[in-house]
Amino acid sequence: MLKDVAAQIAGSAGPSNPSDLNTLDRAAAWRSLAQAGLLALRTRDDDGRPVGSGVEVAVVAEGLGAGLVPVPYLGSAVLATELLALAGAHDEAEALSEGDTRTTVLLDRDLSALAVLPGDQTVYAWDADGAADALALTAGPDGHQVVRVSLDTGFAPAAGSDLTRTLLRSDGPIDGARLTPVGSPLSAEALLRWEALALTVISADIVGVMRAAVARAVAYTKERVQYGVLIGSFQAVQHLCAEAYVQAEASASATNYAAWAVDELDVAEALLAARTAKTQAALVAREVTETVMQVFGGIGQTYEHIAHVHTRRALTDRQVLGDEGVQLVRIADVRLTGE
Amino acid sequence: MDYRDTPEEAEFRATLREWLTATIPAGWDKIEDEEESVRLRKDWHRTLYRAGYVGMSWPVEYGGRGLSPVYDAILNEESGNLGAPPLPSVGYIGRAIFMYASEEQKRRFLPPLLSGEASWCQGFSEPEAGSDLASLRTAARLDGDHYVVNGQKMWTSGGQYADWCLLLARTDPDVPKHKGISAFLVSMTEPGVTVRPIVIASGEAETAEVFWDDVRIPVEQRLGAPGEGWRIAMTTVAYERGPADIGFIANYRRTLRKVEGLAAERGLLEKEEVRKALARAYVRGEVLRLNCMEQLSMRVSGRAPGPEGSVAKLLWADAEQSLQHLAMDILGADEMTGVAAGWLSSYFTSRPVSVYGGSAQIQKNIIARMLDMPR
Ligand SMILES: Cc1cc2nc3c(=O)[nH]c(=O)nc-3n(C[C@H](O)[C@H](O)[C@H](O)COP(=O)(O)OP(=O)(O)OC[C@H]3O[C@@H](n4cnc5c(N)ncnc54)[C@H](O)[C@@H]3O)c2cc1C
Repeated sequence: MLKDVAAQIAGSAGPSNPSDLNTLDRAAAWRSLAQAGLLALRTRDDDGRPVGSGVEVAVVAEGLGAGLVPVPYLGSAVLATELLALAGAHDEAEALSEGDTRTTVLLDRDLSALAVLPGDQTVYAWDADGAADALALTAGPDGHQVVRVSLDTGFAPAAGSDLTRTLLRSDGPIDGARLTPVGSPLSAEALLRWEALALTVISADIVGVMRAAVARAVAYTKERVQYGVLIGSFQAVQHLCAEAYVQAEASASATNYAAWAVDELDVAEALLAARTAKTQAALVAREVTETVMQVFGGIGQTYEHIAHVHTRRALTDRQVLGDEGVQLVRIADVRLTGE
Repeated sequence: MDYRDTPEEAEFRATLREWLTATIPAGWDKIEDEEESVRLRKDWHRTLYRAGYVGMSWPVEYGGRGLSPVYDAILNEESGNLGAPPLPSVGYIGRAIFMYASEEQKRRFLPPLLSGEASWCQGFSEPEAGSDLASLRTAARLDGDHYVVNGQKMWTSGGQYADWCLLLARTDPDVPKHKGISAFLVSMTEPGVTVRPIVIASGEAETAEVFWDDVRIPVEQRLGAPGEGWRIAMTTVAYERGPADIGFIANYRRTLRKVEGLAAERGLLEKEEVRKALARAYVRGEVLRLNCMEQLSMRVSGRAPGPEGSVAKLLWADAEQSLQHLAMDILGADEMTGVAAGWLSSYFTSRPVSVYGGSAQIQKNIIARMLDMPR
């Protein structure tokens, strides 16, 4: 069901070539997501439980990734909303789910973690299309406090690699007076819980990007004729596609488990599952999307073609909240030193 | 094969090094404007030529110096070591002309090609004829003492800056497809030639599509005999695949130095994995260079390049693409946030290396055939 809704929105709001990105009605896509209730999945119900599970959020993320949809679902509806909900700022989370305002997250200089202010100088508002403000953390005696930073001043668009997401940069420092605390301080556990969800949905986005890219390449092999036959009949091309498919499916399996784990397992296990998924997805994102460009031959190397839009989104997702290198070190810490 | 320089080669190397040190234009690699960088490359071509460094292995009567190809390899190495601008890739189109042209054509076309007065592009591929080049449809119909050309070429790199084109067109539709193709030397300023640049994923207008509408080519500008186009094309791509002929070694060395510099700037040189990765990149470059040296040495002994060019092409694509991966891994988020946008562009520029000049899969097919594997 959810999958169909996401696919439908992706179908109408996803680009089929880069120039579509200038003309697509992003506002309409956002309204559809709001109307379908998809922006509300990480708000909390009366019992304080998430309206939608990690699995449901991941399904939507994968669908929008597959469509390369240029709306800030991850930034606003998942990462920011979840952070607000965990901080007990339920009204703010509700407000986002209606779709009229958008908020995203601030990441540190190498995109690998939530920004901690005022320490981090250069920060990025990632997935910030239409966002008025972004959330970051300040370190206090009772743990981390979520703070809101307006994106009006000090932020400028950065020419990021991902053509489907807006990236804003501030070279700081951000004046403490501009930080508005939201909700109550987060426990360490809440923050880890957030990270588990965040890593999982980013992996789901990568999975969507990869699966759609592979599907496009496979479809092309059934249309493109060289030497009087479809190029899909060449074993070399079959093996390229098969290998890319295997890697994408492996990433999907790891991500599906991580998505389930978000709400069902204790936080340490959920986080390990999320890191496992992000490792796998990040590890193969580049190779799979490069393979797709290769299968398209010359046309797949051009700016007008959609292939590199997959590559760019996957490469940026790979960095956000830490690439496979970052995740592997954390996994090793847990496995080898029990920390 | 002796890897040491002979006394003459050593002397040449020393003189060249001194000349390069004095002549390389400062800050040339900071230029971002595409037209300006094309101009710089053309200027560098002429500068090299005036100093006698272009076409060193070409016969004197066609503008060369009649030296052994080893001198080209030395030029490649030293240019790379000293960070010179890219070397002009005159080799592969020049070879086709050199091997198939009439005496008159050679005297007319080769000297300006070597000197950089006239730049060339390669009009082979078409929308429906990529890997399967022999299925090309652009037609050249004989009309008195002219051929009349109609069709569309795709991926004609440098087409927007070129003065001349080595064009393949079908002159006989009634014979098997490899046999009905002829090659032509055509001015890009001829009426009926329309060039439209193609921007690749890097954001650069790397290549172009060219439309040919009733373009008239004098018969004396056909290269080789009618129907000889396929053979000429195969010669051209065989040389195109030799990384030494296109100045690859010099580029690779320069880029590797830059990547080493990036790692140093970021304080990563202490990390063992980074050190190993950089060393691995060096090894890849060396392997490729040495493979090219062997090919050159075979050429010195008179052998034309054969399928072993496919080995070099695959090594070249792997070296170039791995080096860009390494740069990406060192730069981390900076390449994605636009802080190091130039490197993201270089990364996308490295992707088509496994497509043009015959894709990686086609090279493997050629090698399998060379190994006489069952078909
Ligand atoms: C940046 C760039 C610059 C170029 N410059 C020039 C130029 O200056 N002049 C020029 O003439 N051409 C040029 N080319 C064209 C280039 O040579 C072709 O793109 C290339 O030969 C592939 O053809 P294609 O794009 O039609 O892909 P296709 O032939 O359609 O190939 C699509 C996919 O199928 C695979 N495939 C096809 N046939 C087989 C087979 N038999 N076995 C296994 N796999 C197969 C390919 O490997 C590829 O992965 C350039 C291309 C690019 C991208």
